[in-house]
Amino acid sequence: MSAIEVSGLTKRFGPVLAVDGLSFAVEGGTVLGFLGPNGAGKTTTMRMLLGLVEPSAGTATIDGQSYHQLTDPLRHVGAVLEASGFYPSRTARDHLRVQAVAGGLERSRVEAVLDRVGLTDAADRRVGGFSLGMRQRLGLAAALLGDPGILILDEPANGLDPEGVRWLRELLVGLAAEGRAVLISSHILAEIAQTVNSVCILDHGRLVTQATLDQLTQDARSVVRVRTPRSQELRDALTAQGAVCRAAGDDRLEVTGVRAEDVGLAAAGLGIPLFELTSDASSLEDVFIGLTNPAGGREEA
Amino acid sequence: MGRALRAELLKIRTIRMPFGLLASAALVTLLVVLLEYSRSGAGGRRIVVPPLSGASGQTLIVTSTEFALLLALVMGVTISSGEFRHGTATSTLLAIPDRARVLAAKAIVAAAFGLTFGLLASLVTDGAVLLFLAAKGFTLQLPVATMIQDGAGATLACGLLAAAGAAVGSLIRSQLAAIVGVLLWGLVAEPSLGALFPTGAPYFPYTAARSLTGATAFGHGVASLPFLAAAALVAGVAAGLGLVAWKTTVPRDIA
Repeated sequence: MSAIEVSGLTKRFGPVLAVDGLSFAVEGGTVLGFLGPNGAGKTTTMRMLLGLVEPSAGTATIDGQSYHQLTDPLRHVGAVLEASGFYPSRTARDHLRVQAVAGGLERSRVEAVLDRVGLTDAADRRVGGFSLGMRQRLGLAAALLGDPGILILDEPANGLDPEGVRWLRELLVGLAAEGRAVLISSHILAEIAQTVNSVCILDHGRLVTQATLDQLTQDARSVVRVRTPRSQELRDALTAQGAVCRAAGDDRLEVTGVRAEDVGLAAAGLGIPLFELTSDASSLEDVFIGLTNPAGGREEA
Repeated sequence: MGRALRAELLKIRTIRMPFGLLASAALVTLLVVLLEYSRSGAGGRRIVVPPLSGASGQTLIVTSTEFALLLALVMGVTISSGEFRHGTATSTLLAIPDRARVLAAKAIVAAAFGLTFGLLASLVTDGAVLLFLAAKGFTLQLPVATMIQDGAGATLACGLLAAAGAAVGSLIRSQLAAIVGVLLWGLVAEPSLGALFPTGAPYFPYTAARSLTGATAFGHGVASLPFLAAAALVAGVAAGLGLVAWKTTVPRDIA
């Protein structure tokens, strides 16, 4: 049984299909990045997991149960959904006290989580005076209040300065190391690339790909650009080796799936002259953008 | 249920709005009392304000708790709609996913805190009338039992209206719209409907709540409901609104 399991999850808001047959799982001790552009369906999926939005079809379970079935849900799941979810005239400590009372948690947890997110000194300040970054920290404190085994975080890095982002990264890695399952959404892959073990990429409510970061890195392969007067001959030879070639002009090819060295050796073996041979490595971000915006990505012949 | 009640109580204790409304209820009641005092005994061709020396004049001041009722209603509205306004509904429902339980806890806590509005307003009116009488050298013409019943009625009315407000705040998630709506209902819609349908006026919820305070002058020449009937009617309206809110709130998405 996975910590988080989503199967065939669908949500329709009137004519808009926000989430379309989504399935994925998150295991304990791992961080799954939930990626997609704005409007991809990430937040709606998380809200369905947390029982805040009723699915049109499919199931979303936590430790094998729907959120509504969990006894003491804050001890199972901690969530950060919106940085604005605070009463401005309530102090940070009081916000957490309210959550602790509602969740049936020990009062000592309030001080523990304030300390963990570095807000002890600001605990008696009203949240209305908090920066966005401090609100994110307070949201994380509330998520950690029940010492849950599962964390669901919707763009928790929003509003954090670079130091805050690093702090968040270290916190999440530490939480996963403690055996917790973490689902973290973002629309910026680079923001969470150093934190996640695997990613789920969504676009228009559908799962585009689910892969480990290593698999995604492999996909972020380099493009070898070649200029040769015998491009068709070289293309045939490289295709036979499993490469994917795209004509980029009369005497130019863009080749993926092989290294520049392989292209050079193939050309030399056939006596094909090369006027240019360069390798252009694409980034994880390019892969992400290519997956979620195929029109803007590379075409493969 | 205990957890939900304790959490709602703590929510009220840790923000300023409910206490601001409570203070406003006391202040506005005092202003109304001072206005009634200044007008007592004044007469014109159409309206004659009874003098403070008589039971009618004293009743007019003792029952000047109307605005406390309205503010208790508004307080109830803010308890529920404030969760949507400030986005705290999400964290509330993450801790207690049973929305019916949350709504019930809000209504109960709103009612309990609402009682203090009526109690405070009654203390203001009763205290004021005793001070005015002492200052003028008049004697109290009202039976103490009547003053106690009017005070208890105002307290009960505030509690019931606050519970109804909590249901309205859950039904209408826009806080501004909900507050404007209940104020318009109490100050404009009911008086207008009462003028159009005088025989039905005592059965309107806000008018019935006012009648619990001992207020009799509704301007329609129609007798108000008996105490228990009025209390049952207002309680029924609060319960009905709560039921509608429960039926509509539970399946609604929290976006």
